[in-house]
Amino acid sequence: MPGSSTSIHPDPHTPHQDAPTLRLWDGWVAKIEDSFNALAGLSILFLILLAVVQVVGRAVFNTPVPGFIDFVEQSMALFAFLGIAYTQRLGGHIRMELILSGLSGRVLWFAEAFATLLVLVLIAALINGSFDHFLRSWNLGDSTIDIRLPTWPSKLVVPIALSLLWLRLIIQFAGYARLLLAPDKAPVAVPLIESIKEHAQHEIEDALGDETGDISNKSQSRENVQ
Amino acid sequence: ADVTWNVSLWGKRRAFTEHVEKLAELVNAKTNGTFEIKLHYGAALSKSRENLDGISIGAFEMAQFCASYHADKNPSITVLELPFLGVPDLETQIKLDKLVYATDAVKKDLGRWNAEILMSSPMPQYNFVGRGDAPKSLKDFEGMRVRALGGVGAAMKTIGAVPTTVTASETYQAIESGTVQAASFAPHAHLAFKTVEAGKWYTTNLNPGTVNCPVVANTDALAALSDDHKKALMDSIDEAYAHYVANYAKLNEKFAAELDKLGIEKVTFNADELAAFKAAAGKPNWDKWLADMKAKGVPGDDLFKLVQDNLK
Amino acid sequence: MTPFDIGLLYTGLLLVFVLMGMRVAFAAGLIGFLGLATIFTMKLGFDKGIWVAIKMAGTIPHSKSVTYALSLLPTFILIGFLAFHAGLTKKLFEASKRWLGWLPGGMGVATIFATAGFAAVSGASVATAAVFSRVAIPEMLKEGYSKPLAAGVVAAGGTLATLIPPSTILVIYAIIVEQSVGQLLIAGFIPGMVSALIYGGIVIGLAMWKKDMAPSTRTYSWVEKFSAVPGTFPILIVVGIIFGSLYLGLATPTEAGSLGAFVILVIALWKGMRWKQLSQALHETAKLTAMIFTIIWGVLLYVRFLGFAGLPEAFKNFITSLDQPAIVTLLLILLAYAILGMFMDAIGMLLLTLPVVYPAVIALGYDPIWFGIIVVKMAELCLITPPIGLNCFVVSGVRPDIPVQDVFKGATPFFFADVLTVGVLIAFPSIVLWLPQQMFN
Ligand code: NA
Ligand code: NA
Repeated sequence: MPGSSTSIHPDPHTPHQDAPTLRLWDGWVAKIEDSFNALAGLSILFLILLAVVQVVGRAVFNTPVPGFIDFVEQSMALFAFLGIAYTQRLGGHIRMELILSGLSGRVLWFAEAFATLLVLVLIAALINGSFDHFLRSWNLGDSTIDIRLPTWPSKLVVPIALSLLWLRLIIQFAGYARLLLAPDKAPVAVPLIESIKEHAQHEIEDALGDETGDISNKSQSRENVQ
Repeated sequence: ADVTWNVSLWGKRRAFTEHVEKLAELVNAKTNGTFEIKLHYGAALSKSRENLDGISIGAFEMAQFCASYHADKNPSITVLELPFLGVPDLETQIKLDKLVYATDAVKKDLGRWNAEILMSSPMPQYNFVGRGDAPKSLKDFEGMRVRALGGVGAAMKTIGAVPTTVTASETYQAIESGTVQAASFAPHAHLAFKTVEAGKWYTTNLNPGTVNCPVVANTDALAALSDDHKKALMDSIDEAYAHYVANYAKLNEKFAAELDKLGIEKVTFNADELAAFKAAAGKPNWDKWLADMKAKGVPGDDLFKLVQDNLK
Repeated sequence: MTPFDIGLLYTGLLLVFVLMGMRVAFAAGLIGFLGLATIFTMKLGFDKGIWVAIKMAGTIPHSKSVTYALSLLPTFILIGFLAFHAGLTKKLFEASKRWLGWLPGGMGVATIFATAGFAAVSGASVATAAVFSRVAIPEMLKEGYSKPLAAGVVAAGGTLATLIPPSTILVIYAIIVEQSVGQLLIAGFIPGMVSALIYGGIVIGLAMWKKDMAPSTRTYSWVEKFSAVPGTFPILIVVGIIFGSLYLGLATPTEAGSLGAFVILVIALWKGMRWKQLSQALHETAKLTAMIFTIIWGVLLYVRFLGFAGLPEAFKNFITSLDQPAIVTLLLILLAYAILGMFMDAIGMLLLTLPVVYPAVIALGYDPIWFGIIVVKMAELCLITPPIGLNCFVVSGVRPDIPVQDVFKGATPFFFADVLTVGVLIAFPSIVLWLPQQMFN
């Protein structure tokens, strides 16, 4: 499975090196992230099949899926949010690394830790606010326009996925803070900056898949570059 | 301005928002600019479906929404969206809206959102624009794929039509391509979404229902207004209604002219057929609604009776 | 401070965060949240204002993501991941080679048109460049092509994937500026083909100018030509489904994307793709989908703050008040995009700038659909320019024997071709607008 390994340390059961606690947490959270992301992937497959049923049903049998748009919209929360922490672990949320890639040592780890801390504040606020959004639909009622599906299950996905992201960010913050204190140690539980060349290599693997060999080994080695 | 209210609206300025424009203009004039009502179009402050959430949060002071966008957020006012109420004109619609909005049931319902209704956005009955053979009788709707949401969709289902979900902006293409054979809107929306350009016929008197779209204010913001400001706002409502209705009448003329220009066939059903349609789609849906309200603890019987009594 | 000042100040801070390397989605979201908090605090005091901001911000991720039009995105992304597994590339290249090989620089021209064909099942420039580096570069080198030219052809050809539908970036543009997704996708088709023709013309010109750069290929008999055609049928089917259903309106964009993904999935399974690769493709699709949705709601949180601050309107008024012809303003804006694009990812760049730039450009009188195509073409152009033109790094990554400087060198003529294309599209907007307008007739 691509990137199902953790960012640095793949096996939560062998915490024999530096920072064992951090590695343990990293590993367990990674397991949840992997299953959340798998669920997101399956929900995409489900959407595609549902849409095929909708088109065939409408064109051939004159029986479109009742409330198709309502169904699609409510299930979108699954693939829009469940992969968010997984993507953060693998450094998949885009950013501009032009300046960062010129930094090293304490300066780099400070910049990373500081940015992570700010994002932690944002996500904490959003967990609070999105839970409140869910709570309103739960307490006061809310339903979709066409077939009146309740909206609270879909809204509940957001604070859950963001909470997992928050955990991931805490782990990454700890990882950066550890390096800030001891810049000579090997990085644990943090995504490392890819050079543009490594980034290109990653894109090639994505496009050509297993033709380039076992992909999980590849991304493993990519993330272990030090 | 001493006080500024933000209003959350979606879409562009159109007939459907003219009363809010008028309200802002009148209030500004009456308070010598000390009370500004600022209109934000294009869902800049909130998506239409979440305007009640924004009001409840207190992010803006005023907003417009439609009851059927989220029936379970505002069950009490969906009484005004029941199929085949037989509301003849906008004046009657306004009268009913005012009566219903003034009930304790509605005040309590909206009060949960910290919202108070100022006025409605009265809309005429929905009718269908379609392509292909024009329906001669209601039987011809059997198996017809129609774009009709919520209550109107439920009503159409009782005569064998197949409600098919298509977003409003995709409706033109959906008719053009046969994805749906007909779509129901109020006239201003038929014009906005260009369905008339894709269709060949229009039902003049099917009148299966409409949507109810109130303009609300945040209760705290309303309470915080000075007496002068509040009076200026409340006293402007009837004039805003009058402006809206006059403007909608102009739009209806434009719609009629457009139908003629495009050579669209007008389909008019006879009284017997409409009575049969109403019997099939009206009563069962009303009963379902009443049972639903009972389950929710909303006095549906009273609300429904209020509407019926004032229609006679 | 007025809300407008806050809007300006925080937008500056956003730039700082992005430059500092904060992930674009979170930088935008953070500024949006801080901005809302400041505006509501000024209006209601901190104790109340901060909670209004938290609650308002908390509605946005769900509200902005759960939008039917956006459900198209993962289907397009999955098509891209499966297209290679469906084994369509080699057949497409073979057919293109047999039909176009007789031209001067025939193999290069064939590569361009094969990438254009592959673009019809792939929405990602970078992936297309990777796939064709594998398929087409060896064949060009066998014919005696210069390495930089062979590499440049593939790097440039890859960019066609974004204009020719399916295209993720065009969908995102359509959502942000609230235009019809179907029309934008259809609008990309002819400019994509015009781009391909100009690229092809460049290859022919280079081949005629320097014979040893791109020697001619042998010609093929009609039997050979026609026997290569059936191999392209799967692609034609997918093109027919996506393009046909969008153009004729037989299906909504989401339905069209799903049908296309389903057909590609069936072909890929038939070609021997197994659960392991499918699971891998689904994981990668989910990851890219999460990335795109996060940046969309993050940026829209910033946009919500801009809405309360009134910044887009102010910028629009400023731009329209400028005492210069609209075309000069437009060219300056495009120049700014060219410079930004040298350093930034296309999706991040468009999402961050459009909320402010788009209303101004429209106020200058330009067409929304047309501007979308122009701006996406600008973003694509940046994929073949130094310092971080990703397509060039990808080609060099697949072919380690070709240093990236050589790829940039080989791509240079195509950079000028792109500038020419943008010029042509500005001079003749109907190239962009004719086809989508046909949808409404
Ligand atoms: Na494409
Ligand atoms: Na670049």
